[in-house]
Amino acid sequence: MRTTSVGSYPKIPDLPAPGRWRSAAEKLQRGEITPEEFRRVEDEVTREAIAEQVEAGLDLITDGQIRWEDGQTYFARRMSGFSIDGLQRWFDTNVYYRQPVAEGPVAWQQPITVEDYRFARQHSPKPVKPVVTGPYTLARLSQNRFYRSLGEFVLALARALNQELRALDAESPPLVQVDEPAILQHPEDLPMFREAVAALLEGVRSPVALYTYFGDARQLLAAFADLPFAVIGLDFAAGSRNWDALEAEGFPADRRLGFGLLDARNTRLETVDEVLRALDRLSRVVPLDRVDLGPSAGLEFLPRRAAKAKLVRLSEVKRAALEVTR
Amino acid sequence: MSELPLFPTTTVGSFPKPSYLLEARRKWLRGQIERGALRELEQQATREWIQRQEELGLDVLVDGEMYRGDMVAYFADELEGFAIAGLVRSYGNRYYPKPVVTGPVGRKGPITVGWFRFAQSLTGKPVKGMLTGPYTIAEWSFNEYYPTRRELVMELARAIHEEAVDLERAGARFIQIDEPAIHTRPDEDFDLAREALEVVVDGLSAYTITHVCYGDVPRIYPKMLDLPVQQIDLALKNEDFALLEVFRRHPFTKDIGLGVVDAHSHRAESPEEVLDGIRRSLEVFEPRQVYVSPDCGLKTRTIEETVAKLRAMVEGARRARDELGPRA
Repeated sequence: MRTTSVGSYPKIPDLPAPGRWRSAAEKLQRGEITPEEFRRVEDEVTREAIAEQVEAGLDLITDGQIRWEDGQTYFARRMSGFSIDGLQRWFDTNVYYRQPVAEGPVAWQQPITVEDYRFARQHSPKPVKPVVTGPYTLARLSQNRFYRSLGEFVLALARALNQELRALDAESPPLVQVDEPAILQHPEDLPMFREAVAALLEGVRSPVALYTYFGDARQLLAAFADLPFAVIGLDFAAGSRNWDALEAEGFPADRRLGFGLLDARNTRLETVDEVLRALDRLSRVVPLDRVDLGPSAGLEFLPRRAAKAKLVRLSEVKRAALEVTR
Repeated sequence: MSELPLFPTTTVGSFPKPSYLLEARRKWLRGQIERGALRELEQQATREWIQRQEELGLDVLVDGEMYRGDMVAYFADELEGFAIAGLVRSYGNRYYPKPVVTGPVGRKGPITVGWFRFAQSLTGKPVKGMLTGPYTIAEWSFNEYYPTRRELVMELARAIHEEAVDLERAGARFIQIDEPAIHTRPDEDFDLAREALEVVVDGLSAYTITHVCYGDVPRIYPKMLDLPVQQIDLALKNEDFALLEVFRRHPFTKDIGLGVVDAHSHRAESPEEVLDGIRRSLEVFEPRQVYVSPDCGLKTRTIEETVAKLRAMVEGARRARDELGPRA
């Protein structure tokens, strides 16, 4: 079993520690610091997020997405064809993002995540996985003023993001995580999704994980198993019905399961026993050596202290699980 | 409410805090001033807002929420069973203190009643009692205590009900229960939110209102009309009255709090724009159904922007009244 985080990490520490990122962002807005100075603060905070994941004992980490304003604009701002519009609610959370608008053909121009990945890898003793928002989700959360159909828009984004994955290939990451939460709300779009995944992964050599959250994949799990992903990530907190899907349909023997068990959106800390019982139940369907245990989603929904506690709990559970099986 | 004119004007609840109060709140958080000193400034700011609303000619006033940080944390602070978990980012560099339920929730005593009495004592116009609804308080808090969301929401409903009853006893003839989170999980949770609101308003004779914003209103329409309140207040202006199309397909059977000025733009609308919004809305509402209001609370605007928007709103409503002439 491997422990992992799933994406974001809180950018500021709990009070009374000063929120350096937050005050730097304010200063940047007021023009009191330069973008380069802000970038240095992001560097420091990224190192902090890496250090906390490493201290917590995770096997595979992310850079905490400290530089992401949100999962949509981080990509859309760096591609051509998009403008950025007003605030929208992000799924059923109390978190908001600025909505990208496709005004013309969308295209990849330059690497988006590569520099950030290099930085994180340099500063982490543990393996790091870059995260990329998937084409389907990016399209669903954007406005389309250019393409004739959602399908065309999704496919154009898949081709653009394929170049991003190829650029990451050159860095030989241990795994690249592609986030596609939006497909859970639209299982009817599976054919479109399949086509997009084919375009997205064409010629990509790195192992790629598909991560979903904020719901269950009951109607999709069998189809996910046919797609060339190394890991399939499911949310067992908001999507407790993923248990039904898993137990009814089983899980492909040549894939890993991203087991998003610890609720990333609630401060209540799961007990070690509770998680061990869930792992025991899971082991009847998926051998634990093919499980990536993690939180149910990115951890930026939580205050820093609570986020760290969730990660520490992952390692405690892993140790306890090893003792049980010994 | 026979003494109200046609198209009564009102607001959604919050107004911007004057700079002396923001400064005092910062000092109070750092322990540099006493609670009593802060309260005096909150009262001063409340007086100023009551006076401004009277000068502007609004019909149903609010206390402006000078003593509230945000609409959920304020109630969490005052109720039993909550703590503040910490700061959570909502977007950009905006953070808010998110409450966490750590034990059984309940009311220690009246929460807003003292402020209601204070504000009402300053004016002959009716002042609205302003509450945050149980579903929204639950949805925007962490929950470490109740095994299910339902249990938490229903327990909160009982607490907010007690507060509503006390507001009515204190003389509130209008009580607004805000539920901006009501459409978060429209399929899964709408009935729960409605049931909770039924508990809140049970036995009240006051005119009840709920405010809903920032989300997919069409998803909960027309079942939204089952909410047990007389008026639903909605943001129409920021989507250029697109919701009217939805109401055209299925008639809106309650009074409407018609949002005619955008709460999140700097620009003040003109009276003509407000009048035009009211006219357009009369294609789907009867005149008697319409209360005129901003889209949302105005606390993120400056005082000058707020006054300019409200002046245009009141003037637009007056012109609409004149236009309808004798029918008013």
